[in-house]
Amino acid sequence: MSSIIIDTSASRKVRELLRFLLESGKIDAAVTMRKIPEDSSYDLALITDASNLDEAVPIVPVMTVNAGQVLSSISTSGKKIAVVLKPCELRAFVELVKREQGSFENLLTISHTCGGVFPLDLVAAGKIEELLPKYEKIISKGEVPANTRDTCRACEHFIPMNADITVAVAGDCESGKGCVMYLNTDKAEEYAEGFSGERGELKFDPSALKKMLDARLLEKEKLFASITEDGPGLDRLLDTFGKCIGCHGCNSVCPICYCLLCDFESANFDYNLPYFEEHLSRRAALRLPPDTIFFHLGRLTHMSFSCVGCGMCSDVCPVGIPVAAVFRKTGEKTAALFDYVPGRDVEESIPVMVYKEEEFSDIG
Amino acid sequence: MKKEFTPRITSFLCKWCSYTGADLAGTARLQYPTSIIPIQVMCSSRVDPVFLIKAFLNGSDGVLIGGCHPGDCHYETGNYHARRRFAIVKSVFDSLGLESKRLKLSWISASEGPKFARVANEYTEEIMKLGENPTRKSIFL
Amino acid sequence: MTDSERKGAVLPAAKEPGDAVLDFLRLVMEKKLADAVILPLKVPSGDSYAWILMNDISLLDDAVPIAATMPVHGAKALRSLTRKGPGNLTVIAVMRPCEIRAAMELEKLGQVHPDNLILATYDCPGAVQLQKYVDDPAGSEKLFTEMMQKGKPDDSAKPVCHYCENFSMFDSDIHFGHLGLSDKEMFVIPGSSKGSKFLEELGLTPAVDLSAWEEGIDKLKTDRKKARKSAFEETGVQLRGIDGLLSVFANCIGCHNCQSACPICYCRLCYFDSETAEQNPDALIIAAEKRGGISLPEDRILFHTGRMAHMSLSCVSCGQCSDACPVSIPVAGVFSYIADQTQRTFEYIAGRNDGDPLPLRQFRKSELPGVHELVKDADAEVSSHE
Repeated sequence: MSSIIIDTSASRKVRELLRFLLESGKIDAAVTMRKIPEDSSYDLALITDASNLDEAVPIVPVMTVNAGQVLSSISTSGKKIAVVLKPCELRAFVELVKREQGSFENLLTISHTCGGVFPLDLVAAGKIEELLPKYEKIISKGEVPANTRDTCRACEHFIPMNADITVAVAGDCESGKGCVMYLNTDKAEEYAEGFSGERGELKFDPSALKKMLDARLLEKEKLFASITEDGPGLDRLLDTFGKCIGCHGCNSVCPICYCLLCDFESANFDYNLPYFEEHLSRRAALRLPPDTIFFHLGRLTHMSFSCVGCGMCSDVCPVGIPVAAVFRKTGEKTAALFDYVPGRDVEESIPVMVYKEEEFSDIG
Repeated sequence: MKKEFTPRITSFLCKWCSYTGADLAGTARLQYPTSIIPIQVMCSSRVDPVFLIKAFLNGSDGVLIGGCHPGDCHYETGNYHARRRFAIVKSVFDSLGLESKRLKLSWISASEGPKFARVANEYTEEIMKLGENPTRKSIFL
Repeated sequence: MTDSERKGAVLPAAKEPGDAVLDFLRLVMEKKLADAVILPLKVPSGDSYAWILMNDISLLDDAVPIAATMPVHGAKALRSLTRKGPGNLTVIAVMRPCEIRAAMELEKLGQVHPDNLILATYDCPGAVQLQKYVDDPAGSEKLFTEMMQKGKPDDSAKPVCHYCENFSMFDSDIHFGHLGLSDKEMFVIPGSSKGSKFLEELGLTPAVDLSAWEEGIDKLKTDRKKARKSAFEETGVQLRGIDGLLSVFANCIGCHNCQSACPICYCRLCYFDSETAEQNPDALIIAAEKRGGISLPEDRILFHTGRMAHMSLSCVSCGQCSDACPVSIPVAGVFSYIADQTQRTFEYIAGRNDGDPLPLRQFRKSELPGVHELVKDADAEVSSHE
C-alpha cells in the first residue's frame, strides 16, 4: 500500500482529493464538513458539484452532528460517495452497519488521526477560527488540547480503525504541513490513482503517537474517577441525573440510538392515574414526568456497549450533565464483558445478537 | 414497634422451567418465603433489561430471573441471550455503584422444585441482609 | 366576572411571597381539600428544580412554589399525570401562567384532563434562563428575588419573558397576586367558579378590593407591550426572506431539542422524525445534485417552518425551546413572533380557557379576507368539528 506526502495543509489536501475524485467522476458525491463564512458556522455537507468544495474544511475539530449517524441515511443510495469522518464517526457507522442501518459498499472512507473536537457552545459562539492555530500546534506536538470535549481528551481511539485512507495530522507533522496520507486498502489505491502528490511506501506508525495516547489514558482515568468521585450508588446517580429535564436530546443525537421511536418515548411507559396513586401511597412524593433515572439506566443497557464516546450527548444537554462520560465509563465495562470494541470490525456481531455456550459461568 | 422487613422479590420465571419448578415446590409442600412475587414469562429471554431496571427503581428489593439450564431452553437459545443481557445489566449496575446483588439470574428446571425453594430461601436471606431497597422511598427517580 | 367586580383575600407571608402560597397549600392539605400538591423541589445536586407530586405535608417545607427557573414545563408534568384520564385524585398545582396556558392548550388537544386539577398561578416576573441558573444557582436565586420584588425580568431572564403580556392571572382557578402589596402579603384571587368554590370551602372570603394590584399589572403590561413591539420588529427584520431564516438557524444541528422541550408538541413521534418525512437516499442525492450540495442532516429549515405551521397557534411563548437549544439559537423569539401573527389571524389567544376550540378545528363559511377569494353571501355561522 502506498502513501502520499502532503505538501500543503492536511485539510486542503483532502479537499483536493475530493475535488479530484468528483471531477474525475470516480465518485458521485462527497460528504465533508463545510464552513459557512457569512455566519461563521459549520455544517456537514453532501456535495455533488466540485465547485461547491471551496468552502469544505474536511479536517476541522468541529462535530455538529455525528457523521456516522447522517451517513446511514445516504450510504445505500447506490452512488459512489467519499466521506471524511472522524475516527469515532467511522466507528459509529460500523456499529450502524452491524444494525443494518447502512452499507460500506459504495463508500470510500477517509479518516484522520484526531485531536478531539471543540464543544458546540464554542462553535455557536463563533470561536473556532480563533482557537484553531493553537489547537493545531498542540496536536502536532502530540499533546492533548485542553478545551476540547471531555470524552475527546479521554479518547484512546483517535487513530482510525478500518478507514480506506488515513491522514496523519496528529503528532508527526508540523502545523499540518508535511503530513502523510496513507492508502490502506485496494479501494483507496484504485480511487487515488492519478491523484497528485509524492508517492511513497510509508507505513503508518502508531508509536509516533505514544505520547498522545499516554496523555489521553491519563485523562480517561481522571474522567472515569470523576463519575463516582463523591461515592457511587443511587445518591450519586441522582446527583448526576437528577436535573435531567427529559428532553432526550442525548438520545436523539446519539449515533447508536437509531430507533425511530425510542422505547422510553413509547406508550409502554405511559401511566394511568392509579400508577401515581400507588406510588404516592408509599413514596410520599414522586417526580413528574416520571422515569428520569429509568431512561438513562435503560439506555445504558440498550446501547452502552456500542458507545464510541463521540460526546454529542454531553454537548446537547441543556443542563450540562456529563452524559458522555458516564456512558463511556459504563460502556467500557459492558463492552469488555464480551471483549468487544465498538467499531473495531464490521464483521463482528453486536454482543446481544450472539452468544457462546460456555461463558459467564458465575451467572445462573 | 418496628415492623419486620419483608422483602419483595419480583421474579420473572420462564413458563417451561422455573415457573413449573415453583409449582412443583408448591405441590411438594416445600416451604419458601412469600417474598417471591412470580411473573410468568414465556422465556427468560423475554425479560428486557428494562424490566429489571423498572422493577428495581419501583422499589423491588430483589429481582430474580428464573430460566431453563443452558442447553435446555424450550426455544433452544433463549437463555443464552438472557444470560448476556443479564451480564450487561449487572455490569451497568456495578459501574455506577448500584447494588447488583439485588439482581439475580438462576437456572431452575421444571423438575427442580427443591432447588427453587432453596434459591428462594437463600436469595430472600441475602436480600434481608441488604435491607430495603433505597429506591422504594426515593422521590427524584 | 369583570375586573371591577373582582375581589381577593389577603394572605400573610412570613418572609417572601412564596411563603403565603405554602401556608395556603398547608391549609388545603390539612382540610383535605386536595389529595396531593404539585410543586417544584430542588433536585439533589441543588442546581435545578423538578416537579414533584406530593401528598406528604412535611415536604412542603422544602418546596419552592415560585421557582427562579423552569427546567421542565409544568404542562408536561400535568400531562404525564392526566394524559390517560382525570382519575380520582384531586391535585392542586401552582405554576407560571404560561405553564397553565399550555395545559389549557393540551386540554383542547386531549392530552391533559384537568377535571380534578386545581390550577393556580402567580404574578410571574419571568424565569431565569436554565443554563444561567445551572451555572450559578445562588446568584440566580438572588437575581430572581429582585425580579420578584420589581415584578420585572432582568438580563438573566429568558428573552421572551421581557415582552410577555400574560404574566399574571390568565384563566387559572386561583391566582396569587403580589404586585401592589408589600412582601409580607399576598392576594389570593378566585379565577373560576371551581376556584371560588375552593376558596369558600377553605374559609377564605374574597372581599378585598384589588384596584392597587390591577393598576400594577396594567402598568407592567404597558411596558411589556412596548418591549414586545420592538422585539418583534427586530425579529421581523432578522427573519426577512429565506436568507434571514437560514442565518437565524445557521447553527442548528437538527437535534430537535426545541421540539421535545416544547409543551405543545405532544406527538409521541414527531412527523419530522417519522419515516414519512425521512428522505430516501436517492432523493437526497438528487437534492444535492440540483444545488451542487446540501447541508446534513437535511431539511432543518423544513423542520422549523413545519413546526411553526403545526403548533404556533398554540404557542404560549414559554421559552423552553431556547433554553433547550445547545447552540443558542433564539428559537423562542422566532416562534413567539410567528405565533403572534398566526394567532392574530384567527383572533385566538393560546391558553384562553373560554370554550373556544382550536382555530384549526372550526371554520366559518366566510372568513379570512385577503387569504382567498371570499364566498359571496355565505352566512357567517360557526361550523365546528368538535
